[in-house]
Amino acid sequence: MLLVLLAVVFAAIELLPGDAASATSERGEGAAGVAARRHLLGLDRPVWERFWDWITALPTGDLGTSARGERVTDLLADPLPNTVLLGATAFVLTALGALALGLWAAARPRGTVDRIVDLTSTAAFALPEFVVSVGLLLALSLWTGWLPAATVTSADGSPASWSMLVMPVLALTIPQTGWNTRIVRAALADQASTPHVEAAHLDGLPTRRILLRHALPGAWPAIATGVATATGPLLGGAVVVETLFNYPGIGAVLAGAVADRDTPVIAGVVACAAALITVVLLLADLVRARTLGARP
Amino acid sequence: MNWNRRQVLWAGGGMGAAALLAACGGGNDAASSGSGGKPRKGGTLRIGALGRSSAIVRDPHGVQGNESDYLVIALVHDTLTAPGLKDNAVGRLASSWKPSKDLKTWRFTIAKGATFHDGTPVTADDVVWSLRRLRHTPAGAARLPGMKADHITAEGKDTVVVVSDFANAELPVMMRLSTFILKKNTPDKDMAKAPGTGPFKLDWYRGGNARLLRNEHWHGGQVYLDAIEVTMFESPQAMANAMMSGQIDVASNAGPVAARTADARKDIQVVRRPDDMAMPVVMRTSGGPFADPKVREAMKLVVDREAMVKQVLSGYGTVANDILGTADPDYAKSIPQRHRDLTKAKKLLKEAEFDLSRTYELVTTEDVPGLAESATLFASQAREAGVKIKVVKQESGTFYQKTWLKGDLYTNYWGTNDSLVFFASKTMTTGSGENEADWSDKGFDAAYHKAIAAADPTARTAALRELQQIEHDASGYLLWGMADGIDLAAPKVHGLPKLPGYGRVQLENVWLAR
Repeated sequence: MLLVLLAVVFAAIELLPGDAASATSERGEGAAGVAARRHLLGLDRPVWERFWDWITALPTGDLGTSARGERVTDLLADPLPNTVLLGATAFVLTALGALALGLWAAARPRGTVDRIVDLTSTAAFALPEFVVSVGLLLALSLWTGWLPAATVTSADGSPASWSMLVMPVLALTIPQTGWNTRIVRAALADQASTPHVEAAHLDGLPTRRILLRHALPGAWPAIATGVATATGPLLGGAVVVETLFNYPGIGAVLAGAVADRDTPVIAGVVACAAALITVVLLLADLVRARTLGARP
Repeated sequence: MNWNRRQVLWAGGGMGAAALLAACGGGNDAASSGSGGKPRKGGTLRIGALGRSSAIVRDPHGVQGNESDYLVIALVHDTLTAPGLKDNAVGRLASSWKPSKDLKTWRFTIAKGATFHDGTPVTADDVVWSLRRLRHTPAGAARLPGMKADHITAEGKDTVVVVSDFANAELPVMMRLSTFILKKNTPDKDMAKAPGTGPFKLDWYRGGNARLLRNEHWHGGQVYLDAIEVTMFESPQAMANAMMSGQIDVASNAGPVAARTADARKDIQVVRRPDDMAMPVVMRTSGGPFADPKVREAMKLVVDREAMVKQVLSGYGTVANDILGTADPDYAKSIPQRHRDLTKAKKLLKEAEFDLSRTYELVTTEDVPGLAESATLFASQAREAGVKIKVVKQESGTFYQKTWLKGDLYTNYWGTNDSLVFFASKTMTTGSGENEADWSDKGFDAAYHKAIAAADPTARTAALRELQQIEHDASGYLLWGMADGIDLAAPKVHGLPKLPGYGRVQLENVWLAR
């Protein structure tokens, strides 16, 4: 799967107008200089040959060299952990938030809380990260001055203060929580109509107990899968959010590399992101397998 | 919002990369912001500069695309000469220079007491090694034009001899472009941490961000700041936000939009550096609909320059007169300013039998703010003279591959105050590498050669006057205005450079009020 994906990435960049040699050249460089650099970067070779070289070096941890001559692993060394920190925090928050809201709403089906949660979660999901970010920036930083507007990096390459994480995390969490709350709520609703939950109801058990002990266990597989799929959008949203808050993450590297047609860098980011998503999906699968009592 | 900074810097880099960094050698008070009393020693300046993490390059002789990297490199390493206010080139690491009678051999003397950050004195060998290394980069021929690597040699401990391929009165100006001096035989892998000779030394660098400390022994004089912290911003918007919320003291090259917002606030200085960026409309002169000089003149008469400056640049700029190199001390202010004259334009178009039934395409990009807007506004102004122009936006990569140097009508930009001769030699003399309008004019070429071979300042000025007159009358450039460079700064910041182009990174005179 990953192989196909990376091959598509290589092919897609090939189709974009311009190439890395001209995109990263200097104005004074002249056609001969650009041609020389094109040769240096191997861009005069067929795309499949370059792909083969890159992919065969991958298992050794070598992601190749950028069009500007920097090692891709060096380029990703600082931003990747930052994005993982941002994404993981947002992921945990969105999972907890969605679970809490979903359960709260499910406690009184069709009650006031249920309707409000239903409405706001839909609205939140419909909001792009961009809009949420700008709203947060205005409200929490530029008007009130409570939080720093941009991320400043310290000597170790990470954000200088935890307070700089708050808004980027929220900007990612809010839309995703909207989506996941709906999944949790729906999964619980499905469980509500199963015989054993109905039986628990008829036995007169407290709602809380029914939800946590009887409905939730059966809903786990659906919830885990749903929340796990949030990884993709979270990483995608990170590109936008990182730019707006100047967060030193991998999204910024990706955006710049696409502008430069810098194939090894783009492929490197894709490979890392794909690896992350795969791990999370695998974990979700394990949760599923455990709950359903079967081994994959 | 996400403009391509690489292009801005490209332009700024002009013929080379790191370019016009470096200081005007101190004491150039008129070139700095604010008065605010006596300079005070101490403090850390937090400055924001644009850059992209994917484009980070640490080699001072590399193809740097990031302003943030330029800034760091220019503070750590000195160039031989630097842009100045009254002269195009003032001393930096070179304290003086002297040409031979034929203007081919130039001797540069290294400033007394110049040392690297590790304490070793700078020798002519170091300079020769650095210049040759620079010359051997892919763009080396463009960075040090007319200078073969073998023709750069050392004479004794402190003199560097450069023999030019042709008589060149402008050679010291070339030496302000990316001539960062490193220690002889610095290995490629150590470039990022190599000691320089500049006013600041590197404390740490991480992912585009850096901290620099004062070089107590800088040959160029007193440095006031204890330290400079550089933060790289991916987007101008984020940089402006950081400025507004007080996270940084200076937002370098923040642009007119941020300036407009900041103008309303008393706690932010808007520092304008005039003549910072040219955004000419380029008309192809060797063929196509604009090959007739009458048509080109008509187009130059069609544009409403005041309206362009007001609307495209939000007023942060000045009207120009179709001559590139407006900040050059020899810029001919005496050539009458061209104004809008639709009647004359229509008459010229008629004489040239210009096809008014056709729609002409004006190709533009969104590489720098205002560029696409300038095309749109120009198109609507041309309509008033009966010329139908359709604006076509191209993505940067496509533009440079398909349109630049080739198109009939397109917008372009040069982000620096390069000299008259720079533009003449690079973009207008016959057969020059970046002859954007594919222009060739014998009189112009002659004036150019006269100017660069003139040892006598009066003769040189006269030749340059002639060159500008021809450029004004006939070239393929419609230069309607010059955009100001705009930096935002907190009130406590004093001594910021006011020079255009990469003059903006000359921060050694900056000091902070208490």
